[in-house]
Amino acid sequence: MTRHSEDNKGLIESFRLTLDGEEHIVPIAAGETLLQAALAAGIDAPHLCTEGRCGTCMSWLRNGDVSMASTRALSPRNSERGYVLACQSRPSSPAPIWLDFDL
Amino acid sequence: MQIGTIDSVWRYPVKGMRGEEVPHIYTAYTGLMGDRIYGVVAADGDPGHPWHTGRNQEEFVLYKASYVSSEDLLLPKNLDATYSEWEPGIDPLYPDADEFKVNVETPDGVTYDDIEDPAFIADLEELTGRSLRIHVTQRGIFDARPISIFSLSAAAKLGEEIGMDIDKRRFRANFYVRWDNQDDPFYENSLIGKTLKIGKWLELTIIERDPRCVMITLDPDTAEATPKLLQHVGRNHDGDAGVFAAVIKRGRVNKGDPIFLNDSAQ
Repeated sequence: MTRHSEDNKGLIESFRLTLDGEEHIVPIAAGETLLQAALAAGIDAPHLCTEGRCGTCMSWLRNGDVSMASTRALSPRNSERGYVLACQSRPSSPAPIWLDFDL
Repeated sequence: MQIGTIDSVWRYPVKGMRGEEVPHIYTAYTGLMGDRIYGVVAADGDPGHPWHTGRNQEEFVLYKASYVSSEDLLLPKNLDATYSEWEPGIDPLYPDADEFKVNVETPDGVTYDDIEDPAFIADLEELTGRSLRIHVTQRGIFDARPISIFSLSAAAKLGEEIGMDIDKRRFRANFYVRWDNQDDPFYENSLIGKTLKIGKWLELTIIERDPRCVMITLDPDTAEATPKLLQHVGRNHDGDAGVFAAVIKRGRVNKGDPIFLNDSAQ
């Protein structure tokens, strides 16, 4: 079963992810967070609470646009740096996404 | 059987600000005397966790908070009565609230004689753009539990694992300990469910591991963040570092006190 159904209204179908110096192309289904997609792809992406509280999944959005349901663990300084919480981030435009965990 | 030693005792007069090492402290069911008495509440904060801390302003960990009468806030005035033979003893009698007055030195070297001085909050509001207020309670403000324990061996091992020196103060524990066990740097994890006796009086049960957040990424001297530490803890240690404890018998703890497994305490 494909993770991208016929009624997929997702803005993008995959994104680029960097972790431990390795590059991955990660499929993402409509409604998924970047973290959910990474974990579904078998990538050992850092995470813990998945509620935006702990900040373990903080990563650098090097390209693309996301919306976050919560930014509780993200300081203004980190937001200005372009950091996001992968567990809260969903694509918000068709622009290609590059998420980098190697901070 | 002695299993370790208290390396140092720390309390944090203001939640999120720099802590202070103390030579000894009374530890009640509600935590260490004077620990996290003050908190800064953000109007736009999460209703369940409204505290303004280093999560919101990294430099907050550099603010130095000190009790004006620190020496008077280490032991309750009725200490002997709390050790009554009539178990479990009498509740500690703490000084009046105004004796917990705390002053604050900012990272820029500005000192406010009283954290409740409106000028302090006004300046912090201007700096952060948040609407803030001071909350105070004599019995402490904690994220989860009032007693946290962290070993020097765990700090050293985590540093070795990620290839950098790790200052123990990142973990903002109350008791930093040295374990006699040299084989397991995370020995505290094996003590969950066990009851320990520390020094002559305090007994506590190790309840659970301590789940961590972005606070441990902050260097306590520079506030610079090292996100890879939290990532490493998340990926390799289930997100936990250190343990929480619950007090079974209250009492004074001193730097250097021995730690015993309770079933063989002497």
